[in-house]
Amino acid sequence: MAARKAPAKHPPRKPTAKRAAPAKAAATSAKPSAPPTALEGNGKPLGSVLVVGAGIAGIQSSLDLAESGYKVYLVEKNPSIGGVMTMLDKTFPTNDCSMCIVSPKLVEAARHTNIELLSYSEVDKVEGQAGHFRIQVRKKARSVDLAKCTGCGACAAACPVDQRIRVPEPVPVQDDETVRKTDAILDRYPPQRASLIMVLQDANAAFNFLPEASLQRIGERLGLSFAEVYGTASFYKAFSLEPRGEHLVQVCVGTACHVRGAQRILEEFERLLSVKSGMTTEDRKFTLETVNCLGACALGPIVVVDGEYNGSMNLAKVSRLVDSYAKKEAV
Amino acid sequence: MKLSSAQELDRLRSELAGSNGRSEIVISADATCCILRGAKGVAEAFRTELQKAGLADKMHLRLAGCLGFCEIEPMVILKDQDILYQRVEPKDVPEIISETLLGNRVIERLLYQDPATGQRQARREAVPFYGKQNRLILGANERIEPVRIEDYIAIGGYAALSKALAMKPEAIIEQIKASGLRGRGGGGFPTGKKWETCRNAESEDGVRYIICNADEGDPGAYMDRSVLEANPHAVLEGMIIGSWAIGSRDGYVYVRNEYPLAVEHLALALRQAEEYGLLGENILGSGHDFRIKVVRGAGAFVCGESTALMQSLEGKVGRPRAKYVHTVERGLYDRPSNLNNVETWANVPLIIDKGAAWFASIGTTGSKGTKIFSLVGKINNTGLVEVPMGIPLREIIFDIGGGIPEGKKFKAVQTGGPSGGCIPENLLDIPVDYDELTKAGSMMGSGGMIVMDEDTCMVDVARYFLNFLKGESCGKCVACREGVRRMLQILERITRGEGRSEDLDTLQELGEYLLDTALCALGSTAANPVLTTLRYFRHEYEAHITERYCSAGVCKPLFQYVIDPATCTGCQVCKKRCPVGAITGEKKAPHLIDPQMCTKCGACFEACRFDAIARARIKEKVA
Repeated sequence: MAARKAPAKHPPRKPTAKRAAPAKAAATSAKPSAPPTALEGNGKPLGSVLVVGAGIAGIQSSLDLAESGYKVYLVEKNPSIGGVMTMLDKTFPTNDCSMCIVSPKLVEAARHTNIELLSYSEVDKVEGQAGHFRIQVRKKARSVDLAKCTGCGACAAACPVDQRIRVPEPVPVQDDETVRKTDAILDRYPPQRASLIMVLQDANAAFNFLPEASLQRIGERLGLSFAEVYGTASFYKAFSLEPRGEHLVQVCVGTACHVRGAQRILEEFERLLSVKSGMTTEDRKFTLETVNCLGACALGPIVVVDGEYNGSMNLAKVSRLVDSYAKKEAV
Repeated sequence: MKLSSAQELDRLRSELAGSNGRSEIVISADATCCILRGAKGVAEAFRTELQKAGLADKMHLRLAGCLGFCEIEPMVILKDQDILYQRVEPKDVPEIISETLLGNRVIERLLYQDPATGQRQARREAVPFYGKQNRLILGANERIEPVRIEDYIAIGGYAALSKALAMKPEAIIEQIKASGLRGRGGGGFPTGKKWETCRNAESEDGVRYIICNADEGDPGAYMDRSVLEANPHAVLEGMIIGSWAIGSRDGYVYVRNEYPLAVEHLALALRQAEEYGLLGENILGSGHDFRIKVVRGAGAFVCGESTALMQSLEGKVGRPRAKYVHTVERGLYDRPSNLNNVETWANVPLIIDKGAAWFASIGTTGSKGTKIFSLVGKINNTGLVEVPMGIPLREIIFDIGGGIPEGKKFKAVQTGGPSGGCIPENLLDIPVDYDELTKAGSMMGSGGMIVMDEDTCMVDVARYFLNFLKGESCGKCVACREGVRRMLQILERITRGEGRSEDLDTLQELGEYLLDTALCALGSTAANPVLTTLRYFRHEYEAHITERYCSAGVCKPLFQYVIDPATCTGCQVCKKRCPVGAITGEKKAPHLIDPQMCTKCGACFEACRFDAIARARIKEKVA
């Protein structure tokens, strides 16, 4: 992408490239030497300031500087400004609503004639010294015409690509019982990557889902990162990452069952249990799932409850089946 | 007992064959569907009743695997009397023993009844379902118990192996090539050629892998499950022969996790084969070593694709890769890997045993041997059929399958699973052949054959397959990930009654793009169900779009249920069954459905005994 050069045309004394984002240290250097005494000539401010990081601190600094007459370049690596504060509900210590504080400032920063926003950009290089910096900023490809974009968000909602794998932070989970059981499973297989799927299968069967502590333990023992274990577990349909209900209802939606009306059977289960396929009822009694084909097509439509096959299902049989399993609880 | 030479195996076989002089009762009892229908109970009843009648020593009870005719299971075959009893229940067993076994009388009501003519047949060969089949692979099922390797050896099992071990590997490959065997998993690649490439491929440390693909993902296909359940040794024998021909010491069977019984039988078969020295080190004293591991899949359709399957075997996420370098050259762990389908492996011992010329004499020019199909859906005789290549589809559906139940009209037959297509009635005379089916826009596939009648909406079928593929697409290539989803959106719009006139052209265009640009076979064939239904059932799409009507009564926004006041007897059954209270009417007076409240669940339609409820066009709303 075209490298954008921060202007160095304003000689001779420029204010320091001021670092504003408090948490984001390390990256660029800020020379503490010359203080921003840029009043010169007929008392007008001269030169420009670059602020790195458009969090609340960066925005406030930019606004103050802009108000005192400096041209401000506000660089932010994310596509939008606002930083962490926009994600918070309340702020310490006054318990004030954080959005109420920050949002007027966001608008102001965007509208201020003295502030040029460089969002979705990063500082690549800082050269020179206090008063005369030469800064290279890399603007990332946004592929959106900012002059026309109104920020309505409709494109983000319409985008069909949602392939993000949300990997939770591997916070070590203390669960000795799970680890002990997982170890027992791991002991049965050679400690190598090829064992992963088999181990996950056994763990899934033992716990009726894959608890996080178990996944972490598997990663440790097989020498894999948590992300690799999680990525594999979330790819295959046979694994559940959430606890399942006491009874597992699997409706076969193979083609043979489909043409024999499996869809209506599934809908009836959804209606009776008031959950959608893939969900667990609130009382944790039933989990409703679909399965692609059980290979017993002569008996379609088929429903398997806790491993027990029920063939030639119709709507009347569905309610009887649900009743019989719901009653089992009472006994 | 470990067998250390071919002679010892022959000796064991003659001992086993000689020891069994008792008359046989065969029950299809050790397969998933038969167990579902209570076959275990029937077997148990036979055991106790035979004991009671003092026949336990004279009779040999055989709990065989799948006998193919799922519709009439559990079935019992009395070998000496040559009688087949269908849908036997435990309470029928004492009668069978006293009447037929002791009294030599046939029990009429348990005989197979032709759904069309009402005629009853006692002999199995006379049953039309079996008449036109050529059960080369499935035929062994009734002669063995899947859990007994001795049964398999007694009927000549592993003879092909000892024959093969005496041959040069190249000679075996020549035999397979000459037989014309093509991959039964759907692709139809010549098996012999594959073996040859794998044998000749360079491997740095000499390691080559043999893989059996038992990840039978096509919904509506279950022949691989059945073969593994009923005759696991046939597959193992094929693999061992392959390992000798290709020069491999390590084999894998990748089997679907949804098939617990197949896994169980396979594991048992492996143990038994090792005990007899048919697997492991120095097989039958030949110096050849070969081991097989069973690996269970984890419910991902794409893992049936060879490169994805190998990724999964390595414990990784099953994503396919581009095949510039074939897996026979660099596959599992970057070593030459030969992957064949269950049915392909099961064919190998037959070819070695009976010769390539014999095998090549069955079938058509381009397709040799037999193919197993699972004939399912709206068909009278649901089951597994094994037919010679070249048989017309019509014969399979109407002669073997017995046509459509309840006198409904045939609409289409779907072959090849989500990668295949729907074949309409006017093309039913095309023969079963890899190339002919591809020409018709479908494909041989692994062998699912789903019959559809007038109550099946073809737009919905296309939507169903795309929905399936959307969930199973691994997301690696854009064409498949986005293309399938986009086509699905359009189809969903059509089934909701919001179709637009340009939709059909868009579908066609997207489908063709997908064909050209997707990375693996899952993506490049994903559009087939849409393209074939568009080609043969365009009028249905058009009716959905322009008339807003689904004649099959599947797409809920495009039809309504109405009660015919002339036929309705006012029995109130539908009123009681309606979950939303949309039906009103006094007893013995015609009822009425409130279309505003009706959720079109179909409960009333199912419950009505007088056919008074019909599906109808939604009338234009009067403003």
